[in-house]
Amino acid sequence: MSRAFTDNINSFNGSNNLFFISTDEEPKILAWLSPLEPQVRHQDICEQRVESVGNWLLETKEFKDWYNGSENDGSDHAALFCYGEPGVGKSYIWYERLQAGN
Amino acid sequence: MVVACFYYDFASREAQTPTNMLGSLLKQLLSGLGEIPAEIVEKFRDQKKAIGGRRLQLPDIVKMWVSVTSSQRTFICIDALDECVPSHRLEVLGALGQILRGSPNTRIFITGRSHIRGAVERELGGRAASVLIVSREDDIVTYLRARLGKDTTPEAMDSFLENDIMKSIPEEISEM
Repeated sequence: MSRAFTDNINSFNGSNNLFFISTDEEPKILAWLSPLEPQVRHQDICEQRVESVGNWLLETKEFKDWYNGSENDGSDHAALFCYGEPGVGKSYIWYERLQAGN
Repeated sequence: MVVACFYYDFASREAQTPTNMLGSLLKQLLSGLGEIPAEIVEKFRDQKKAIGGRRLQLPDIVKMWVSVTSSQRTFICIDALDECVPSHRLEVLGALGQILRGSPNTRIFITGRSHIRGAVERELGGRAASVLIVSREDDIVTYLRARLGKDTTPEAMDSFLENDIMKSIPEEISEM
């Protein structure tokens, strides 16, 4: 921990303790969590999608209940499964929803 | 709000193990938060003491997820779950079910082909609603107009060809 008080650190509050991690430890922790970097496909989809295509999904009861939560009526669907045949646009329709949510 | 995404790909199915996949979601969650919680740093430092380090296990990731999202609204999006190895799919769905039970702030969006619908609904313990996605004619028209608008050789287009494209492609797709 000798380097913990140099400029080259990130500090943050843990549950009770103040922790210090060095900037070279952070990428090691992230790599330990997973070696995968799946963001290339995400960028492809962002670039190729067309505005407003798939907006009908937003208006469905299933989507609204999923997005807003419907704990009150006792049938909370915390997961939404969008299924369909190959090529109908499933991978694009969900990106649309993320944008709407942000 | 934090969004974590994962894209399954048949060609990468060997590398896309359940721990790698859930670990990738957790990694994105931490990047979205901009900090690594103390308990994860501690866990990382502890495992380094084992010979050769200790690999992360699925229950570890579920526990970390539940803890990190206790005060954070989070969306998990998983694309093409049908392209995952079948045995991995059940493991992943089992872990997602545990996450949903432990973390009321997490909501999950999944896409996939119809044949995995039963497994998704069963493994998530009735917490999943399903929606059938079909290509709609108005969406196809919107998409075609956008693509024609980016035509790099518009001089090769005349109104006859354009009308033909706008008529025949939506017709053909709606017949599928």
